[in-house]
Amino acid sequence: MIEVGEYKIKEGLYYTKEHEWVQVLEDGTVLVGITDYAQKELGDLAYVELPEVGKVVEKGDVLCEVESVKAVSEVYAPVSGEVIEVNEELADSPEKINEDPYEAWIAKIKPKNLEEELKELMDAKAYAEYLKTL
Amino acid sequence: MGKHYIPNSAHKEEMLKEIGFSSIEELFADVPEGFIREFNVPEGKSEYEVFMEMNEILSKNKTVLEMPTFLGAGTYFHYVPAHVKYLIERSEFLTSYTPYQAEISQGMLQALFEYQSLIAELVGLPVVNSSMYDWGSALGEAALMTVRLHRGKRLKFVVPKHTHPERMQVLKTYTRGANLEIVEVKWNDRGQVDLEDLKEKVNDAAGVYVEIPNFFGLLEENIQEIGEIAHEAGAYFVVGVDPTILGVVEAPGELGADIVVGEASYFGSPMNFGGPRAGIFATRNDPKFIRQMPGRIIGMTKDAEGKRAFVMTLQTREQHIRRAKATSNICSNEALVAVAAAIHIASLGPKGMQELGEVILKNTAYLKKRLSEVAEIPFDGVNFKDVLVKFEKPYQEIHEHLLQKNIHGGYYVKPHFPELGESALFAATETTRKEWIDALIDALREVL
Repeated sequence: MIEVGEYKIKEGLYYTKEHEWVQVLEDGTVLVGITDYAQKELGDLAYVELPEVGKVVEKGDVLCEVESVKAVSEVYAPVSGEVIEVNEELADSPEKINEDPYEAWIAKIKPKNLEEELKELMDAKAYAEYLKTL
Repeated sequence: MGKHYIPNSAHKEEMLKEIGFSSIEELFADVPEGFIREFNVPEGKSEYEVFMEMNEILSKNKTVLEMPTFLGAGTYFHYVPAHVKYLIERSEFLTSYTPYQAEISQGMLQALFEYQSLIAELVGLPVVNSSMYDWGSALGEAALMTVRLHRGKRLKFVVPKHTHPERMQVLKTYTRGANLEIVEVKWNDRGQVDLEDLKEKVNDAAGVYVEIPNFFGLLEENIQEIGEIAHEAGAYFVVGVDPTILGVVEAPGELGADIVVGEASYFGSPMNFGGPRAGIFATRNDPKFIRQMPGRIIGMTKDAEGKRAFVMTLQTREQHIRRAKATSNICSNEALVAVAAAIHIASLGPKGMQELGEVILKNTAYLKKRLSEVAEIPFDGVNFKDVLVKFEKPYQEIHEHLLQKNIHGGYYVKPHFPELGESALFAATETTRKEWIDALIDALREVL
């Protein structure tokens, strides 16, 4: 875990400037969630509007929405592909994202262009540097 | 006083010169002839003179107290207890409009919370917002909410053709931008929703709507079945209700409604030429529904010291925060009208609500029976407030005659539904007196 101030960054994941993380699984699918920075900025999460399984997204599309006590925020798709699973647990317990943002994944995506799109994402070190500029 | 009271009129020449004109005529040269005229504003008058003149003009109006009226069709003469007016005129209620710095307005929030709680109990759905603009806009929002619940994949909303024409127009206006198709279901020979026609049209509908009572004043007899037809087709069931009936009929929430809309201003507010009003909006206690609900909800919670406190909840979805992505475009409510309704409903209590409904049913039944002696009543069944009457003569002639007899007749229906012929809706409420109805029938006999 890298730490920048109060924010934790997990190594081995890929990151976007919009504060989503991507974890590549062995079968080539990816898990998507929001970072520690994102959840701390949002505050206590009250609701996660999970995407529908089967939703097809392009990188940068709105994947779903998360709602905290002070804001509603879009989560953008960090990679293109099809949503094949969602973390149903979050429907009843959105606070899991606050408790452990890197464990509480939101959607599992079957990517269509992973290799190329990963190059456009940051690794943990690069994301840590990025956070220092904010 | 006099003409120089108009600000800056002494500087006319100076101003004209500054913008490059030599006269007023030259400035307005582009305005077509005939549209410009000199205003002949008289010299100033004393306050007393103005008061008397205004009073003379106003005395030409006749109120329902001076002229028995049978005009209903959406706006009704109800008796509002005197204390309602005095309570809502307290400055804490009267001046606060919508509390912008919400949490310091605890009293206002509590009153709105009470409104929500009373409506929830009446309509049988636990989640109520702190009001929409009126019944019509609540219906428009309900239709849009059923589309959001379907994530925009269904764009059809099914309504009885015999929905109030003005409400129908508001619905169409509200849903036009969202490309919603409004599909109308026929009425049958009893003035009720034609279930066979509904079954044919319900496929792919986002929502199905029905009203208690319907535009003809009739209680639909198959509310529950209409809801089942809607749900079987995967559509949400929206019920519109005149809440003054809820002391005597089953709550729509108990009949399967997913969303209930209606008119709250029948309680607490005078007719006011039809406004301001307050729309009822209620839904199920299910996060899926609540997240898609328009408007604002007042919630009860505890403050930092553990004391009871009221807050605006789910503000994050509203337009001042989410802009174009907001759940709906309503950022406000009809706070004062809703508070007036709450005070009136609370004053009636459960027993008063039941008595109110019973008296209206009885008065309407007497009106209908007497009308049937002189004209055709196209639909039997149970009426609440409005009764559809069909005449053989042009209705306007009849209406004129009634006016001469100091009686205000009903609502002319033909312009909206020509197939119903020379028909009009005549309405009774708890305020309608037997002798008014008897006088109406006597007057009708003279002209029919």
